[in-house]
Amino acid sequence: MRDPSPLGPRRLSLPLRSASCENQVASGWGDRTKPFPFSAIIALLLLSMLGVGVPFAAVGPFSADGTPARQEVVRDDLGRPFALPERTPTRIVSMAPNITEILFALGLGPEVVGVTRFCDYPPEALAVAKIGGLVDPNIEIIQSLRPGLVIAFRGNPLRIVDRLRDLGSPVFVLDIGGGLDELYPLIAKIGLVTRKDREAEALSTKLRARQQAVEQALGVVDRKPRVFVILRGQGLWTCGGESYLNDIIARSGAVNIAAAVPKKWVLYGRERIVRDNPDAVFILAKSESDFAGARAWLSGEARLGSLTAVAANRVYFLDENAASRFGPRLVDILDLIARTLHPERFGGRP
Amino acid sequence: MKNKTRRRALLAVLALLAAAGFFASLLTGPVKTTPGDLWRLVSGRSQEQAVIFLDLRLSRAVLAFLVGASLALSGAILQGYFQNPMADPFVVGVSSGASLGAVAALALGFNVVFFGFSGQSLLAFISGLGIVSLVYLLSLRKGIFKIETLLLTGIAAGALASALTSFLLFMRSDSFDQAVFWLLGSFQLAGWKEVGAVAPYLAVSLAASAWLAKDMNLLAMGDETAQALGCPVRRVRKAFLVISSLLAAISVSVSGIIGFVGLVVPHWIRLLIGPDHRRLFPQAALAGGTFLLYCDLLARTILPAELPIGVITAAVGAPFFLYLLNQKR
Repeated sequence: MRDPSPLGPRRLSLPLRSASCENQVASGWGDRTKPFPFSAIIALLLLSMLGVGVPFAAVGPFSADGTPARQEVVRDDLGRPFALPERTPTRIVSMAPNITEILFALGLGPEVVGVTRFCDYPPEALAVAKIGGLVDPNIEIIQSLRPGLVIAFRGNPLRIVDRLRDLGSPVFVLDIGGGLDELYPLIAKIGLVTRKDREAEALSTKLRARQQAVEQALGVVDRKPRVFVILRGQGLWTCGGESYLNDIIARSGAVNIAAAVPKKWVLYGRERIVRDNPDAVFILAKSESDFAGARAWLSGEARLGSLTAVAANRVYFLDENAASRFGPRLVDILDLIARTLHPERFGGRP
Repeated sequence: MKNKTRRRALLAVLALLAAAGFFASLLTGPVKTTPGDLWRLVSGRSQEQAVIFLDLRLSRAVLAFLVGASLALSGAILQGYFQNPMADPFVVGVSSGASLGAVAALALGFNVVFFGFSGQSLLAFISGLGIVSLVYLLSLRKGIFKIETLLLTGIAAGALASALTSFLLFMRSDSFDQAVFWLLGSFQLAGWKEVGAVAPYLAVSLAASAWLAKDMNLLAMGDETAQALGCPVRRVRKAFLVISSLLAAISVSVSGIIGFVGLVVPHWIRLLIGPDHRRLFPQAALAGGTFLLYCDLLARTILPAELPIGVITAAVGAPFFLYLLNQKR
């Protein structure tokens, strides 16, 4: 079992530096009233043909023309500079479900004005305006929300994220982590850019306490069940060694049979599952009825029906949304997997 | 002079359609806007919707128009070049080749600027030109193009280029949206920067093709006759090949592969105003721009989420292609 490495609540690896405030740069076209003269367009075109930069691109994020108020600048997970707002921004747009969950957990729900169509947790998020999906967020909708802060995720198309930035929105991009330990820095970063540092710390402390409770209850596990996680798509997808679910399985006193594959998500062949013959199977499903369908399919499959886990009815349900989002509910998943596999350690019957 | 009135009527209709298309594009989008909002912006009374109208919708409409014009002009040139109404940058494989080049430039991090070309457009141009030259050489038999060979070679070369593009894209893990963009085309990310990247090449190509249109007319009589009539056949052919690849490559590097525009539009225009390339080139460009403008409008409005525009143009163009193929027999 992996050692729970206790991180200090402020162990943040954000290179901070100060710079003068100048980030509120709109692209040169935003505030144009008169139609652009045709001759100027021709001139620009000729210039661009000569390899001279066209002025559209010339407005960088640091063209200093604002008032020289001191403002802290941090870097997001893409290494792009981001000017910290002085107080909690209003009109926040979240571009991924896990970010939405963290924002609501920090009590920022009332400030959130835009979420993706996949953001269904907490239920309040359903009432917020939809900006599109993860890979197809709509720039126009986001722009019309006049966001004070856009929190994007590394899986959003980079070009759309850049476009939003060019249009003048403050954009902060976050990556997702490879393990539960990276959830806390993520929460801290969201707390930092929303100026909710204390709330973020409190949330992390609470989650970490639950994580440690699970790990303490488990203690040292000698016989670790071998587990297979199923995400049904076109084929049998599962979580590889680089996924956070792999980390969570390891922390719940179990072994992921696909841990050796150095990827996040892996298409796992049936032959390999039969060969590995897992002790338990977890199915990621949207609902109990989806799960029932998937379990029925699994026992009906000629080769998979003979697996020990299936024959012994050790096939369990994991809420797909909670388990596939790098957010606070991962701790619930940890708790659930640990209790399912080691009920005796939590005061239940084996 | 029946032809002349026809041309003028077509020009007027196209200009009117284009203007209406631009107007509709400005007013259509996920954010509700009214002609009143637009009027308030134009008259300088409100800046509220400036970003949406100018930075997002207008730039997108202009780019769609320019790309449509480029593709249609490229198609018109290729159809004259191969003397075959079924040639088009997509069918001949230039578009797929160009997209391979653009994606390779992205994957290799190749971003030098060379004569105003971005590294991406440069590689797109080179590989597009490479593919069309290959198709040219393979389908040329004893000085004539066999139509079947031309089409099959182009399709095979295009499929190969698309497969390589997919391979490059799937090597990187976070590239699903990129694959859709490069293989099916989209104007979702259109901006003035992209407009600035396309416009000069289109302008130069339009001028050059107008300059050489007479020679293209001569080529229609056969290379030997053209040569006898004083047309420097080999140079003209080279120039046209370069122009058409350039147009296709530039279009692809800003909007991904958009098929069939170059096939359908020049064909329609030829039916309407006849085969004189001096008229055909500019009219096809205008019509292509208008056509793609409306296709983009459809792509944005049919579903709540945006469709890749290649889906729309293929839905219009592929049946047309089949119809032409059937007529040939």
